[in-house]
Amino acid sequence: MVAKRLELEQVVKEFGEKRAVDQITLQVEEGEIYGLLGANGAGKTTTMRMVLGLIYPDSGRILYNGKPYGPELQSQMGYLPEERGLYPKVKVSEQIIYLARLRGMSAAEADKSLKYWLERFEVPEYYDKKIEELSKGNQQKMGFVAAVVHKPQIVIMDEAFSGLDPVNVELLKATVKELRDQGTSILFSTHRMEHVEELCRNITILDRSRTVLQGDLREIKKKYPREEVLLYTTGEVEGLDRIPGVKKVSRQERGYDISISDVAAAKLILKTAMEQGEVERFEIKEPTLNQIFIKEVGESNE
Amino acid sequence: MSKLNTVIRFTFLNKIKTKSFLITTLVLVLLVSIGMNIPYFIDKFSGGEQGPASVGVMEASQPEIVASLEAYLQKQGEFGFTLQKFAGENEEALRAELKAGNIDGYLKFNQDGQSAFPTVSYISNKDSVPQTLNSSLQAALQSVKAEVITKGALSEEQLAALTAPVFIDPVKLDASGANASANEAETEAGPAPINYIVVYALVILFFMIIMMTGNMIAAEVTAEKSSRIMEILITSVSPLTQMFGKIIGMLYIGLLQIFIFAGVIGINMSLPHNQSVLGSLNLNLADINLTVLVLGLIYFVLGYLLYATLFAAIGSLVSRTEELGQAIMPITMLSLAAFYIGIFSLSAPNSLLIKISNFIPFFSPVSMIVRAGLGDTPVWEIAASLVILAVSILFFGWLAAKIYRTGVLLYGKRPTMKELRKAMRAYKI
Repeated sequence: MVAKRLELEQVVKEFGEKRAVDQITLQVEEGEIYGLLGANGAGKTTTMRMVLGLIYPDSGRILYNGKPYGPELQSQMGYLPEERGLYPKVKVSEQIIYLARLRGMSAAEADKSLKYWLERFEVPEYYDKKIEELSKGNQQKMGFVAAVVHKPQIVIMDEAFSGLDPVNVELLKATVKELRDQGTSILFSTHRMEHVEELCRNITILDRSRTVLQGDLREIKKKYPREEVLLYTTGEVEGLDRIPGVKKVSRQERGYDISISDVAAAKLILKTAMEQGEVERFEIKEPTLNQIFIKEVGESNE
Repeated sequence: MSKLNTVIRFTFLNKIKTKSFLITTLVLVLLVSIGMNIPYFIDKFSGGEQGPASVGVMEASQPEIVASLEAYLQKQGEFGFTLQKFAGENEEALRAELKAGNIDGYLKFNQDGQSAFPTVSYISNKDSVPQTLNSSLQAALQSVKAEVITKGALSEEQLAALTAPVFIDPVKLDASGANASANEAETEAGPAPINYIVVYALVILFFMIIMMTGNMIAAEVTAEKSSRIMEILITSVSPLTQMFGKIIGMLYIGLLQIFIFAGVIGINMSLPHNQSVLGSLNLNLADINLTVLVLGLIYFVLGYLLYATLFAAIGSLVSRTEELGQAIMPITMLSLAAFYIGIFSLSAPNSLLIKISNFIPFFSPVSMIVRAGLGDTPVWEIAASLVILAVSILFFGWLAAKIYRTGVLLYGKRPTMKELRKAMRAYKI
C-alpha cells in the first residue's frame, strides 16, 4: 500500500481536564483538498496545530508520507493561520522572502515565486508595500502567498476564506484548485459549507472534539434521505398535499416546494403535475451540507 | 546554520531600519557629544569671555581686612577678581555702581563683635556666586583671615604652610608587603584618574545597552506571538535557532551602538579644545587600561547573552505587549542591582561585595569591569568568573529555549509556574 501524504490515526489531545481532540482519524492523499468542519471550539485548530508539529498529540500518531514528524517537513509544509501571521511593519517582499528562506528556499527562487504569486493575484504593486498599509482582505491574500510561496506538499489553511469579498473568494478558490491539480495536499478548515461542497472530496465534521461524520462527500449525501422536491409548473397543481408521503407543500413564486418523507412520493408528484399542466422544472434536491451539518451538530447539541 | 544566519540578518536589518532605533541612537550620540563638551562650554561662557570679575568693597567698614586683601591680590598678580575700593560706609553708592554695571558685586562684612573674623556677604544681581569667583574669593579671604587672626605673629612662610591643604597620597602595599616604603617605585600608584571615567562609562553603557536591546527582544517576541506569525515561524525553524538568531541579531545591534558611541567619544576627546580641558583635569588618554576595554567587551557579550535569553523567555510568556512591562520587572530589577553594585563600588573596587559579585553570573559583567579597571584581580578569579558566567549562559539558554518553545504557544492569561513546568516537559527543544 502506498503511504498517504498525511495520515492521522486515533489522535487525542487533552488540555488539562478537557479533551480538545478525541480520537480523530483521517487521511489526505496527494492532490486532495480535505475539509475539516465544525463549529467554533470543535477542535479544528488544535488538530491543525498537531499536524503542523506545533503541539504533540497525547496519543495516536500522525504520519507524513508514512513517516513521523521530522525537521525535513518544515520545508514541505505551508500554514495559513486563522489570524494573519505577518509582520505589520515589514515590507511584503522582505517578509515573504524571509519566510520562504526559513523554509529552505534560496533568495532568488523565493523572489521569483513571490513575484509569480503577486501576478497571480493581480497585485504586483504590493511587492514594496508594508502589510499594515494593505486592507484586511489583501493582508489575507499575502498570508496565503506566504503559506504557499515555497511550493509545499502539504498546505494547512485555517478559515482561509473568512473576511474575503466574493470576488476574492473566487480568486482564492481557483488558486486552491490549481494547487490541488499540481498535486498539493490541502487540509482545509472552515465553517462555511458552500466552500466545502465545491472544493472537497472527503470531509470530517467535528463536534465538541468528537468526529460525528466522516467520509466521501457524495457518499455522505447519499446516506441522507432526499426530502425536498422542487416543482416549477406553468399553472396551478391541485391535490399535491393528498399524495401519500407528502408532508408539506408550500407555494412559491414559480412553483412549489414540497417536503416528502419517502422518495417514492416524488414520482407521484411528477405524475400529478404532468396530468394537470406543463412542468418547467422538477428536481429531487439532495440535502445541502449545511443541512447535514445542522442536523448532525444540532442534534448532538440537544 | 544558514537558517540561523537568515534569522540574524532579518532581525538586524529590520531593527536598523526602524525610525525608533535611528532616532534613539542619534539622540544618544548628540547627548554624549554635548555632555563631553560641557566643560569647554562652561569655560567659554562664564570665565573666559568676561575676564576677572570686578568686586566692590567698602574700605571704611573693615580697613584692616581690605588692606590685607589688597596686599594678597597684589602678591598673586592675575587672580579671579579685581578689587574696587569705595570710601565711606554708605552702601547706597555700591548699590548704584552695581546697578550701573560698573561692578559685578560687592562684599559686605558683618561684624557681630564675637568672632575674630566677620562673616562675609557677596551681594550681586544673581542668586549665587559663580563657581570660579567663589573659589578665588574663598582662597583670598582664607588667607586674609589667617593673617588677621595671627596679627603678624607668624611669618609668611608659616602662614602659607598653614593654609596649604593636607595632601593624602594613596600608596598601596605590593603583594609581598615587605619593602613598600623602601622601594616606592614598585608600589602601585593606584589607577590613573581616566580609568575611573572609562569604568564609569563602561558600566553605564553596559547597563543601557542591555536594557535597550533586552527590551527590544522581549517586545519583538511578544509582538510575533500576538500577531501569530510565531506559529508560522515555529513550523519553519526550530525555536532554538529562532531565539538565538534573534539574540545574536540584537547583539550585533548592541555592538554597533557601542562602536558608534566609542567613535563619538573618541572624536570628541581628540578635538583640540577638549585636549586642554582633559589635560587640566589630569586625564591622559594614554593611561587607559587596555585590559579593561578588552575584558569589558568580553563581559559585555557574555552578560548580554545571559540577560537576552531571559528577556526572550519572558517575552515568550506574555501574550500582549501591554503586559510586557510588568513581566520583565524582575529582570529589570536584577540588572539595576548589578548596575548599582558597580556604581557604588567605584570608590571601593576591592570590597567584599565586589569580590562576591564577581562570581554571581548576573552581577559579574558589571562588577568585574569595576574590579579589573580600578582594583586588582588575580587571573584565576577572572577565569573562574568567566567559567561560571559561561556555564550559566548555557544553563539559562537551555532553560530559556525550553520556556520559549512552550511559552510562544500559550495564549490567554500568563501561565502559572505549575502549568509552565507541565507544558515544558512535553516539548523537546
